Amino acid sequence: MFRLKGISKEKAFLEQVMERSGQNLLKCLQCGKCSGSCPITTQQVGGPRRLIAQILSGMEEAALRDPTWWYCVSCGSCATRCPVEINTYAVATTLCEMAAEKGIKPSEAGIHRFEELFLKSVEKNGRVRELHTVMEFNLRSLRPFADAAIGIRMALKGLITPTAMLSKVRSDEKVTQIFQNIQQKQKQKA
Amino acid sequence: MMKVSYYPGCSLEETAAAFDLSVRRVCEHLGVALEEIPEWACCGSSPALKMDRMLSTSLAAHNLAQARQQQTEDVVIPCPFCFRRLLSAQQEVQASSQTKQRVQEAIGAELDDNLKVQSLLGFLRFQVGLEAIAAKVRKPLKGLRVLPYYGCYLVKPATVTQYDDPENPVSMDQLLRVLGAEVLDWDFKTECCGASLAVSKADTVCELSGRIIREAAYREADALVVACQLCQANLDMRQAQISKKHGRKYNLPVIYFTQLMGLAFGMSFKELGMQRHLTSPKKTLKAKGVIQ
Repeated sequence: MFRLKGISKEKAFLEQVMERSGQNLLKCLQCGKCSGSCPITTQQVGGPRRLIAQILSGMEEAALRDPTWWYCVSCGSCATRCPVEINTYAVATTLCEMAAEKGIKPSEAGIHRFEELFLKSVEKNGRVRELHTVMEFNLRSLRPFADAAIGIRMALKGLITPTAMLSKVRSDEKVTQIFQNIQQKQKQKA
Repeated sequence: MMKVSYYPGCSLEETAAAFDLSVRRVCEHLGVALEEIPEWACCGSSPALKMDRMLSTSLAAHNLAQARQQQTEDVVIPCPFCFRRLLSAQQEVQASSQTKQRVQEAIGAELDDNLKVQSLLGFLRFQVGLEAIAAKVRKPLKGLRVLPYYGCYLVKPATVTQYDDPENPVSMDQLLRVLGAEVLDWDFKTECCGASLAVSKADTVCELSGRIIREAAYREADALVVACQLCQANLDMRQAQISKKHGRKYNLPVIYFTQLMGLAFGMSFKELGMQRHLTSPKKTLKAKGVIQ
């Protein structure tokens, strides 16, 4: 059986996660209401209760590679039902940031790719260009015709119009500046 | 005339143009002037919330700063995720002066705490009010069996949204009853549709949205009524795939609550962008005598 020895090295990861996320994981009762409420918890995706258990046990490597926080859609069901009010999507953000800082390869490449393309579109245009982002995602995922049937039906219904697809890309200097300011701060820290 | 700041969000410019259209028509009809926030930007949505906390809070707060130029008291937001992000950003800077300072540095603007961030549903239900809405009803939606579906972001987590009951919200039920519809009860009001996994994990979305569609079919509803364009997209666009998976043909229209308001106010099907849904509501609405 896995037992903690109580040495400070074991606690370092837990303390970091708690400080950055603002969530007191030591209160966790392991009751499992979170995973029972969680829409993305399956046999393959461990879920929040298991993820918090890993963090409490100092299992840094396992926690940073866990697919749960990649799948998390921040629906807030776990936070709503948690008897000690732990907000798991705040923990997800912290783990995502820590994994990126440590250069750990995203365990869910597809979800990561989409989220990155989405933010790139925002950085460039100030707003996300949904259809362009989806098309780029499908191209880069080497499945250019995924959901083509839906795309054709959308075009027929006037949901996708040539004018919208070809419309001039707007730019928003203020938003681009926000991205730069934050990246600069993060570099200074590192 | 009531004047409020309006934050449509990116989806309402593109795939959910019908939501935007119906919101503008209905608000105009109710004497609410929606003033679009000048040069509003994306709230960061789920990708920023997942990947970079500071970026997420800053992008949302940037829009609050932009709204300051307008001298309004309320920011009204149709998209539940944008609503939750802007409200959460406001709460985060209120809770910590250190966060506030960092965010102000990142966005290069001052923030003030007085803006009231509201979801469109909450604004219409509580600020405009049921009486004012009832007074505009010309064609009651008699006999239309509807299931109100709230999704997650509007009500959860309650510590952030502070709106309605997170497990059994009733504000949309009340509004739809005022329109004359027959509002059915069910347990799936705030179940998750798969949300932002829409593109990257279509199988998960078909599973989660499929449960909602199956339950709605079991309740013999004429339509699902939504307050979120992401729920609308997942439940409407994936319905053909879900039908295939379940081995039965679903034909369940997924309609925005503002579109039903418009119909009850006497507006036309097309005026409200209803021809744009992949699962057409036309046949059902004709059969029920809601439209000709």
